[in-house]
Amino acid sequence: MSVIRLGYVHIRVTDLARARAHYADTLGMDVVAEEANRVYLKSWDEDDHHSVVLEEGGVGLVKFGYKVTGADSLADLENRVAAFGATSVRMSKGDNVGIGDGLRVTLPSEHTLELYADVEYLGTKVGKLNPDPWPRDGIRGIGVPRINHALITAEDPAQLERFFELALGFRPAERLVGGDEPDDLVGSWMFCGENPHDIAFVKGPNGKLHHFAHQIDDWSALLRAGDVMSMDDVPIDFGPTRHGITRGGTIYFFDPSGNRNEVFSGGYRTGPDFRPITWTMDQAARGVNYTHREIDQEFLSVVT
Amino acid sequence: MPIITVHPAAVRVVAPPGRTIVESLRLAGWRSRYACRRGGCGTCKAPLLRGRVTYEQPLAESVLTAAERSAGLCLPCRAVPVDDIVIAQGEHSLRPILASSPCPPRPPFPEE
Ligand code: FES
Repeated sequence: MSVIRLGYVHIRVTDLARARAHYADTLGMDVVAEEANRVYLKSWDEDDHHSVVLEEGGVGLVKFGYKVTGADSLADLENRVAAFGATSVRMSKGDNVGIGDGLRVTLPSEHTLELYADVEYLGTKVGKLNPDPWPRDGIRGIGVPRINHALITAEDPAQLERFFELALGFRPAERLVGGDEPDDLVGSWMFCGENPHDIAFVKGPNGKLHHFAHQIDDWSALLRAGDVMSMDDVPIDFGPTRHGITRGGTIYFFDPSGNRNEVFSGGYRTGPDFRPITWTMDQAARGVNYTHREIDQEFLSVVT
Repeated sequence: MPIITVHPAAVRVVAPPGRTIVESLRLAGWRSRYACRRGGCGTCKAPLLRGRVTYEQPLAESVLTAAERSAGLCLPCRAVPVDDIVIAQGEHSLRPILASSPCPPRPPFPEE
């Protein structure tokens, strides 16, 4: 499999200064580059140039990027995307700050997904030689170590699942189905490495973002993250609680423009031989919020 | 201070200076229909039946379009009442809650 993981999420924000304060001071990311209307940030345990880009004006997803193993896989992916009938264009080094040549794909769900192998290396805050487990002088707020996954909405989840499987080499870990037909797909959680999910999507409008998530260590880190959210008056969607789907611990919350964020902990290990898990709609509330077994109808429809 | 009236529940609360409709209702013990409370999702969108509101922070056009605004819709999680206002909510959209707003900054320690 040539796609490694989610590299970056590039979102719109209504107020750049407030958004910057949220991602830098509440989540604890570091600003690595700035342009007139954009801020680039990286988490402390990430090597690559950035994992979040904030762009002033509006809300929602501009695009997101997945890192691939090398230039060869880019050529191979380009062919597979074309064979599927989807469109892509080559992007050049410098189109994105810190990111090299790559492929800009328009998904069947109208989202823009960028694939790249080459990215400027900045290194983690603890380094690679006899490192400390976390940066002694460098944690702010929650101190998220790294980005983990994104969940988007699509009018035709079955088609998007086929695309991620055939064109990009992802596999489904968990599938939410509407009826008796396995093809009546409401949502799919797919992986490219050994995570329970690197991308997920549920039925909804094309081109929209449901949330993107940072991974944190464990349940106690989750609870501490909740403390920081209370201190900083961050609106909570729900949590801390456990997901049935992925088995992860979670808090869903909103950034100052109303884009949904998540801190996510745990989850099991998958791999090429993992057999997908099925959830039925009557158990969907337990799938999303295993502890409470009840979710607002709006949880699935609130997107930016 | 402006008075916010919510129809059809006929709930009336005051809007402290600079507070949005959603915040004013929360302070008075009511949860209206909202999700993000930050102007991003459109969940709170409601008809403004009377009065004027102002927006102290930039709005996303995709969340509340100019056409919706001129058709009389407002975004209560961002809208700050200028004078007495009346908004409409669905039949069962207000529920009583006890909500905490952010703590004021703590005095420096030690306090003499
Ligand atoms: S609650 Fe999301 S826009 Fe008002």
